[in-house]
Amino acid sequence: MTLVEKILAKKAGKKVVRPDEIVEVSVDRAMIHDALGAHTIAKFRELGVERVWDPGKIVVVLDHYVPNKDIDTAKKCLNIKKFVLEQGVENYYEVGKGGIAHQVLVEKGHVLPGTTLVGVDSHTTTSGVVGAFATGIGVDEMAVVFKTGRLWERVPGTIRIKVEGKLLPPIMSKDLMLFILKRLGISGALFKSLQFTGSAINQMSIESRMVLTNMAIESGATNGIIAPDQKLVDFLESRTNQSFELVQSDQDAEYEETLEFHSDDIKEPLVATPPRPSNAVRVTDVEGTKIDQAFIGACTNGRLEDLRIAARILKGRKVDKLTKVIVIPASQEILKAALEEGLMATFVEAGAVVGPPTCGPCMEAHMGVLGPGEVCISTANRNFQGRVGDVTAKIYLASPATVAASALKGKISDPREFFPEA
Amino acid sequence: MEIKGRVWKFGKDVDTDELFAGRFIMGGDETNQSRYQEFIARSGLSDVERRENVPRNFLTSVEKGDIIVAEENFGIGSSRQQAAETLKFKGVQAVVADSIHRIFFRNFWNLGCPAIDLPGISTEFENGQEIVIDLRQGTIKNLNTGKEFDFRLIVPAWFIDMIEAGGLIPYHKSRMA
Repeated sequence: MTLVEKILAKKAGKKVVRPDEIVEVSVDRAMIHDALGAHTIAKFRELGVERVWDPGKIVVVLDHYVPNKDIDTAKKCLNIKKFVLEQGVENYYEVGKGGIAHQVLVEKGHVLPGTTLVGVDSHTTTSGVVGAFATGIGVDEMAVVFKTGRLWERVPGTIRIKVEGKLLPPIMSKDLMLFILKRLGISGALFKSLQFTGSAINQMSIESRMVLTNMAIESGATNGIIAPDQKLVDFLESRTNQSFELVQSDQDAEYEETLEFHSDDIKEPLVATPPRPSNAVRVTDVEGTKIDQAFIGACTNGRLEDLRIAARILKGRKVDKLTKVIVIPASQEILKAALEEGLMATFVEAGAVVGPPTCGPCMEAHMGVLGPGEVCISTANRNFQGRVGDVTAKIYLASPATVAASALKGKISDPREFFPEA
Repeated sequence: MEIKGRVWKFGKDVDTDELFAGRFIMGGDETNQSRYQEFIARSGLSDVERRENVPRNFLTSVEKGDIIVAEENFGIGSSRQQAAETLKFKGVQAVVADSIHRIFFRNFWNLGCPAIDLPGISTEFENGQEIVIDLRQGTIKNLNTGKEFDFRLIVPAWFIDMIEAGGLIPYHKSRMA
């Protein structure tokens, strides 16, 4: 069996599972956030049960609309806090304590190899980076998970994404993922699992790997997953004192397909043109496209290495006078590290606005909403029509390096000029 | 179990941001069902006049019991259940499409509304035709052309009971009674 099949088999109490078989698995972690948490709780109350199945397995993170922007959001967050206190949920991240849920789940060691995670968010796939089965569900199902601790799943067949070579800056894992998504298309992995493997993945930091599992959903995949290795064990050691099992694919595992890539295939940074993440083109194909906003952040690319490469480009320079440049670290931990390294000062000196850890202008939630006809280049994961505001706004997706280079010029720009050695 | 209705033909790639824009996610009082339903029904497909893949008159003319037949990639994107709820509360009782994305697929079923994926089915229907879906037999019929198509659902065995109960939450409530 493949890695995901082994996890699902174990959690279903079965010796073997096969692709497209329906199984019922136990849930090790269940995450709600402020955008859909209050809805989940209302549904849970409708079920008429008093207590959740296991408050220790629930993680609650306020991230989309924080600090609260209006009475509606404040009310929903109050309902969530009331529920957290009533049910005795310890893993609660109030404003200023956590950050974006997908980042918090991984950096606080809430998700362990070989386990299952569900969240009321499609990008819950991010946590597959630790070799777990992680996927998104709606609020009715989450209410039932809160009651039963169980979830049905259609076992996804595994598409193996094998990447050899080594990515060299300013080419980042975002560029690689946009390249992979172009090959897969928006439904290329529907009801499948993407398992990322190969020497390029082995050499990547955990942070870089998270971009791949985060955007696995953009190919329609049920989940994205990376087999645990020593780098992951080292990463988790300081973040959890719980023991875990390093589940690996069997030697004779059957993959539905293996797609092979090489870092040499990606000759220059990529940009996904609106309105699909699978619309990758070379940055030089859209170079010069005028932008109104540049956003560095989100669960896709708001991590320390992302901020470092952006700061390297912005240091000692000024962003374009007419461009709104927004930098939002994905968590408090990242913000603190970025402050200590002086990265935040670099952004402010360059003329960017920096925000508190939150989802930000990844979607039309809280900040950085786009007006009619505006163009944004963003490190987020989705560029659907109308996603970040007015239906006529346009969103281009790119790496933090490409977004930072574009911020300087007020138009889509190639970051390679800042990396003369590349 | 037979479901019969009038067809609304949708195009490809209907995504969740289109079905229910981000700006409305925190709106609606989820603790008051009737007010919540009214808000969700009203807020869906808010930018429909700027979209190519939804009939212009859908919002003004959709009626209770209608059925959407869509091209590929229906429901791509977010886990926001409002994307499925808005269709239900506008009156849509089922979605049939060439392909349906996983979270929307689950969400719509959980509301007590079948979502059926069958590659190529969209070419067999025109706007306004009559469709009959037989969930137990696994067939879809176009009453205007007389053509019938078989589908195979990959869902838990209890799904049809869930539909009969009116959705996932009522199904679980009835099992506790």
